[in-house]
Amino acid sequence: MHSDVAISVKNLSKTYRIFGHPGDRIKQALSFGRMRFHREFTALKGVSFEIRKGETVGIIGRNGSGKSTLLQLMCGILKPTSGSVQTNGRVSALLELGAGFNPEFTGRENVYFQGAVMGLKRSEIDARFDEIVGLADIGEFIDQPVRIYSSGMFVRLAFAVAVNVDPDVLIVDEALAVGDMEFQERSISRMKSLQSAGTTILLVTHAMPAVRNFCQRAIWLDNGTVVQSGEASQVCAAYQERINQDVRRQNQARGNPPTAPQEDGSAPRPGRNKIITIAKTEVETEHLHVGASLALRFLLRFSELQPAPAEFGLGVQIHNEQGRLVAIFNTIRDNVFLSGETQDISLCLPSIGFIPGRYWVSANVCDREAMFAYDEFEQCSSFEVLQEFNRKGIPRWEGEVACAHTWRW
Amino acid sequence: MSTVVLNPLRIVSDVWRHRYLLGQLIRRDVLLRYRGAMFGVLWIFLSPLLMLAIFAFIFGQVFQARWPQQDSGLPFWLLLYSGLITFNIFAETVSRAPASVRGYPSFVKKIIFPVNILPVVPLGAALVHAAFNFLILVAALAWAGGIHGQLLLFPLLVLPVLLLALGFSWFVAAWGVFIKDMTQILPMFVQMLMFLSPVFYPMSAVPAVLRPAYQYNPLGIAIEASRAIVTGQAINWGPWAIAFAFSLTMSILGYAFFQHSREEFADAL
Repeated sequence: MHSDVAISVKNLSKTYRIFGHPGDRIKQALSFGRMRFHREFTALKGVSFEIRKGETVGIIGRNGSGKSTLLQLMCGILKPTSGSVQTNGRVSALLELGAGFNPEFTGRENVYFQGAVMGLKRSEIDARFDEIVGLADIGEFIDQPVRIYSSGMFVRLAFAVAVNVDPDVLIVDEALAVGDMEFQERSISRMKSLQSAGTTILLVTHAMPAVRNFCQRAIWLDNGTVVQSGEASQVCAAYQERINQDVRRQNQARGNPPTAPQEDGSAPRPGRNKIITIAKTEVETEHLHVGASLALRFLLRFSELQPAPAEFGLGVQIHNEQGRLVAIFNTIRDNVFLSGETQDISLCLPSIGFIPGRYWVSANVCDREAMFAYDEFEQCSSFEVLQEFNRKGIPRWEGEVACAHTWRW
Repeated sequence: MSTVVLNPLRIVSDVWRHRYLLGQLIRRDVLLRYRGAMFGVLWIFLSPLLMLAIFAFIFGQVFQARWPQQDSGLPFWLLLYSGLITFNIFAETVSRAPASVRGYPSFVKKIIFPVNILPVVPLGAALVHAAFNFLILVAALAWAGGIHGQLLLFPLLVLPVLLLALGFSWFVAAWGVFIKDMTQILPMFVQMLMFLSPVFYPMSAVPAVLRPAYQYNPLGIAIEASRAIVTGQAINWGPWAIAFAFSLTMSILGYAFFQHSREEFADAL
């Protein structure tokens, strides 16, 4: 391994053995491989890459693509089924914030304990203690038992310890999604200073902007293999494109009439025979600027076997890229009640006030009390609010919302 | 990691490297047991004294048990206590070992952690308690007028017990991860062992047929030796050396087994 390589992963595979009963594990051990008492599940197959020292790499992929397994293997927590992982230097991992904390002990005691876990001596922790408490910003609570901490305080303290042990390699799993905005900013700036100090950083996240803005390189995992590895913005774009494709395909699949009778004349499967189905959704303009108008069109299909309810409603939720719910709309909330004849309904937003980024639309048809759903269609379509830049290249829209505005003087 | 470690120096260095962390873990373990209790750390003294009072009453008063060595003029309960201290090091360590790794799944799965030192923690806690017990013993001996220099050999004498307990602890901790039943079985096993070991009776009271089983049992040897030390009798170093060699082997094998099976821990927990 070259001296400028921080992590070298060669042909790495991980197969989990799943035992149905605790005793099966013993039987398996005693049979010396002659019999099988377990099922196998391959989470990772043949993954190879190298990460150079000082590089910041994002690992992306949908849930279940093997990201967490890969991280655990790189930390040495799991043993590879085949292949190898080599790391150079001290690895600090934030797989789960505060995993080693004991709620009965005070923040101070836990800081010293975590430091010891990371291999620091008492004097080394003494030297870092003030900085840790400063970053965590928990004041006098440091001498209170951790069990009385708010979840925000808990996370801040855990993060502060993890980044203050001077790791050579920092591995962060989705940890920054927690905590308030101010802390997120502070932790990002702290990670940036680690980055410029030459720390190798690995970031696993669903937030594409974080990968695009913070990482030089990205590795896209799917189904346990590397789909693409390279320059962060390119990999992110490819990944985004795949997700959009999948959504479109799902949409098309919905468009096919699922209730068609079988050839032998038997009734269609009851599970698919919903009273109302959201058959299709359309976005008028997929890419738009702040302040532009947006129309979301929903086509409904009604069961031929059961009469449609006299009154029902249509709900629309909009999530941002981080999965946060940013807006809820429902006809019922607006005192609009739909009836059996309505097949084509549009939600019109005359002026979009969302901050630039990609947004996902989910829809449901509900009863008139908005208590239960006849049909739910998650991530049925998406749209993107485009960023604008001023003449100096500074983004025009940042923050939580993008309000229409003018200046007066 | 997959190579089997049989070199005792390697084991010592593995544990020594994490001495500060180990110290913290033991401190946490001992403090956590008494934190929030009304008598707090006082229980370290109270619980052995209560146990001693009960044993002394039952075996000394009810059963009228006598030691051959009792010519030394020491009361029955003191001789009982000296053997019990030694036995308790083993008992406490081994009965808590099955949970020593199983009880901390986050250390195994969520953070980078030297899991191999976890089974050392119950031993460390047991030694802390043993040290307090020893202080009580010395104080009691001073009161009974039987204090002498040989007592300083006590730590050396219990060394086989320590190694034996450690070896068992590594074995049992690894099994405990895969087999939850271990946490139920071990305390029972230890209880049984207490009556089978020469804690309440001298080895000489055992029927001659069974005596070899006692003579080569490192636990029995150490218990006898710690009683000899208190009465000021000469220590029989021959059996002690055998016990030491046996216990050392046990701890090396225990460690090797633990290191071999730890790779599966994260999958099993």
